[in-house]
Amino acid sequence: MTKRKGLGFYLRIYGKILTQDIKSKMSYRADFIISTIGMIFTNLAGFISFWILFRNFPSINGWGYYEMLFLYGFSLIALTPVQCLFDNNWSLRMYVYSGDFIKYCFRPINLFFYYQSEIFDIKGLGQLAFGIGTLVYSWAKLELDVTFLAIVKTIVFLFTASLVMIALQNAAAATCFWIQNSFFVLDLVLKFKDYAKYPITIFSPVFKFIFTFIIPIAFIAYYPSLVILRPDEIPILSWISPLIGMLFFFLSYKFWMFGATRYSGTGS
Amino acid sequence: MLKLKKYLAFTRAGIIESLQFRLGTAVMVAGNILYLIVVYFLWKAIYASAGTDVVNGMTFSDTLIYLVLATALFNFMEMYTVWEMGRSIQSGKIVLDLLKPMEYRSYLFWSFTGTFVTNFFYTFLPTFIIVCVVTKGAIPLGTNLLFFVVSVIMAVAINYSIDFITGTICLYTESIWGINIMKQVIVLLLSGATIPLPFFPEPLRTIVGYLPFQSIYNAPLTFLLTAKPDVYTILTTLGTQLFWCVAMMLVSTLFWKVSLRQITVNGG
Amino acid sequence: MSPIIEIKNVTKEFKVLNRHEGLKGSIRDLFSRDYNIVTAVDNISMTVEQGEIVGYLGPNGAGKSTTIKMMTGVLQPTSGEILVSGNIPYKNRAKNAQEIGVVFGQRSQLWWALPLIESFRLLKDIYQISDKDYDDMMALYSSLVDIEPLLHKPVRQMSLGQRTLSDILAAFLHNPKIVFLDEPTIGLDVSMKAKIRTLIHALNKEKNTTVILTTHDMGDVDALCRRIVIIDKGKMLYDNDIEHLKGFFGSYRTLKLRIDGTPEENAEVIRKEVGEFSVSCDNEWISILVDEDKAKIMDVLASLQTKHEIRDIKLEEISTEEVIKKIYEEGVC
Repeated sequence: MTKRKGLGFYLRIYGKILTQDIKSKMSYRADFIISTIGMIFTNLAGFISFWILFRNFPSINGWGYYEMLFLYGFSLIALTPVQCLFDNNWSLRMYVYSGDFIKYCFRPINLFFYYQSEIFDIKGLGQLAFGIGTLVYSWAKLELDVTFLAIVKTIVFLFTASLVMIALQNAAAATCFWIQNSFFVLDLVLKFKDYAKYPITIFSPVFKFIFTFIIPIAFIAYYPSLVILRPDEIPILSWISPLIGMLFFFLSYKFWMFGATRYSGTGS
Repeated sequence: MLKLKKYLAFTRAGIIESLQFRLGTAVMVAGNILYLIVVYFLWKAIYASAGTDVVNGMTFSDTLIYLVLATALFNFMEMYTVWEMGRSIQSGKIVLDLLKPMEYRSYLFWSFTGTFVTNFFYTFLPTFIIVCVVTKGAIPLGTNLLFFVVSVIMAVAINYSIDFITGTICLYTESIWGINIMKQVIVLLLSGATIPLPFFPEPLRTIVGYLPFQSIYNAPLTFLLTAKPDVYTILTTLGTQLFWCVAMMLVSTLFWKVSLRQITVNGG
Repeated sequence: MSPIIEIKNVTKEFKVLNRHEGLKGSIRDLFSRDYNIVTAVDNISMTVEQGEIVGYLGPNGAGKSTTIKMMTGVLQPTSGEILVSGNIPYKNRAKNAQEIGVVFGQRSQLWWALPLIESFRLLKDIYQISDKDYDDMMALYSSLVDIEPLLHKPVRQMSLGQRTLSDILAAFLHNPKIVFLDEPTIGLDVSMKAKIRTLIHALNKEKNTTVILTTHDMGDVDALCRRIVIIDKGKMLYDNDIEHLKGFFGSYRTLKLRIDGTPEENAEVIRKEVGEFSVSCDNEWISILVDEDKAKIMDVLASLQTKHEIRDIKLEEISTEEVIKKIYEEGVC
C-alpha cells in the first residue's frame, strides 16, 4: 500500500538528502574552503568591475549608481537557487552520454526531483550573502520605504524571478537528450545570466522582445525590481513576472521530462 | 623539423576531433554573435549616458573593439588546460601521459593546438570581421596588425604558462573547480578583459602594470587600436611580453618539475 | 494464485535515425523523418510465479536489457501486454517502482558520497518503509553478510565487489516483490561471486522474492536458477528447466592446454589422439571440447600428459554463446 506522496513528503526527503550532502561535503575540507574562496573571488571581481565602471560613468540610461546596485543585488539573490539547487544539470550530459542516467529511473519518486536533489551546491550561499548585503545597502542608500508589504513583495518577486533562470538552465541542460555537445548551450545560458543585472531599456526593440519573451533574462532582475524601485511607473510585465516565472519553470520541467522519457525510450 | 612534424600531428588530430561536433560549433558561433550584440547595446547605452564621446581616452568604438575582441581572444585562448590536467591527475591518467616520449608541458600544449586553429576560424575571425564592418573601419589595418599577431602569440604562451601553473596546483588539492575559477576571475579582471585597463583608477592600474596578466589581453588589443604605434611603445610592450613569456615559462616548468618530484617521492 | 509477471506477445521496436554526412546533414537530421525500424524484442511471452529465480540469458544485444526496461516501466512496449504485480509498468512507473528492486550492472544507484547506512536511511524514507520492517531487514542482512564494516564507508571508496553487494542489499531493502539483477557478478573475483550468489539465494529463500537475473556467467545460472529463458536477436529461444537444458550442454567442458612447440602442429597431433572431441587452437592455447558423458576430463588430461610437455592448463565451462550456438544447431525446445 503506497501512501500519497505530497509536497510534505518531497520536502522531508529533500531536507534529509541535503543534510547528508552537506555533511559529506564538509568532510572534504580543503576542497570546500578553496571552492568557497573561489566563489568569493568571483563575486568580488564582479563588484570591482561594477565599481570601476561607475567611477567612469555616473549613470547608465537614466539609472543611477544605487539603482544599478539594487538590480545587481537583486540578480545575485535571484540567481542563487539555480546555483545551489540545480547544479546537477551540469552533469546531465555526462550521465546521458555514459548511459548512467538510467539509474535515476527506478525510484518510486519524481524523476526530475530525484535527479536534482542529488547535488546541493553549498558555495552558492556565499553569493546569497553578497546579494542580500548589496540589496539591503542600496535599499538604505535609495531611502526606499521599509514596510511589511514591500518586504513581502520583494520576497515573492525574488522567488519567482529565480524560477526564470532555473527554467533557462533546465531547458539548456535538457538539450543533451537530443544533441551531443550540449555544453555550449549551457555555457551560453550561463553567460547570459551576467547580463540580467542591466536594465532592459538599453536594448533595441528587437532585443527587448527577445530578452523578454524568448530568453527571458529581463525577468531575472529588471521587471521584478521595478515594483520596488520605481513604484510610480510599473509596467504590466512587472506585475505578471511571477506568472512568467512559474510558466517558464513549468514549461522547462515538461521539456526536461519529455527529453528524459524520450532518451530512455531510445535505449542505449 | 622532424620534431615540429611530430607536434603538428597533434594539431591535425585536434582539428579533426573538434570538427566532429558540428552542431556544438554552430551553437558556439551563434552564441558568440548574440553575446556580441549584448555587449554592443550595453556600452552604447553607457556612452550615451556619459555625455562625452571620449572617456579616459577611449571612444565608444574603441571600447567596443577592445571588449569584443578581448572576449574573442578569451574564447580562442581558452584551452581548458586546468580541467584537463586536474582530471588526468585525479583519474591517474597522468601516469600514462608522463610515459609519453615528450615533455608533458609540450604534449598538453600541442594536443590543444587543433582546437586553437578551429576556434580561430569559428570565433575569432568572424568576430573580427563583424567588428570591422560594424565600427566602419575603426580598426586601423596597417603594420599594427603585424605587431598584433606577434603580441597574440606571446599572449597565448603566457596564458598557457599561467594555466599550466594553475593545473600543477591540482597535484596538491582535489579542488579543481575552486582553483580554476580563482585563476579565471583573476586573469579576466586584471588583464583588462572585462573592463579596459584605461578605465581602472590610477593606483590599481599601476599595480596591474607590474603583473603578467595585462600582457595577455591589454597588450595585443592596444596594438590593434593604435594605427601607428611609436617605437617606444612597441619596444616596451613587446619587451614586457617577452619578459613575462620567458619568466612564466621558466616558473611553470620549474614548478611542475619540483611538484612532480615531490609527488613521486611521496608516492601520491 | 496469479503469476507475478505476465508478458503477452510483447514487441518493442526502435526507430533509428538515418544519419547524414556533413553540416547540412546534421541540421537535416534534427528535423528528419528518415528512420529505420529495429525490432529489439520480437513477440515474447512468459509468466513468472512469485518466488522464482529466472535466469534470463542471451548474447549482447539480444534484447535482454530492453525486456527488463519494459518490465521496470522505463520503456513502453510497441505492442503486447505486460503486467508486473498487477500494474502496467509504463503507465505507472512510480507505483511499479515501489514493488520492484533493480541492480543494473556496474552502475551504482546509491549516493556516491554517502556512507552506506545513510543511503539506506534515505531509501527508507523514499520507499516509506516502516521502522519495524527496516529493523527486521537490517537484522536479516547482518545475519547473512558481514555488513558492519560496509555501513560506514562512503560508496565511492568501496571496491567493485563491496559496491555490488551494497547495491543488492539496497535493492532488497524495501522488500520488493521482484528484484531485477542485471549482470550482478560481472568483473568480480571468484570468492566475491560466490558470496553474492549465496546472498541472492538466501534473500530469495527468506523473503520469497522473485528474482530475474540476466547474466553471461553460467556459474550464476548453475548456482541460482532452476528455470532459464534464452533470448537471441529479440526472439525467445528457450524457456524451461535448467535440468532439461543441461542434458544438452551440461556435460561439456573445455579443456585448455599450453604445450611446448608450435600450437598448430600440436593441435593437429592432439586432434588425432582425442578422436571424437573437437580441437581448436588460438595463439598459444589449445582447446578441447570434452563431452564428459563419453570420457572423464581427468582421463583425457592424463593420457595427453604422457605424450606432451604440458606447461599450463585451464578448465572452462561452456559459455552462453556456445549454448546458444548448440541450440541453433541442434534445437532443444
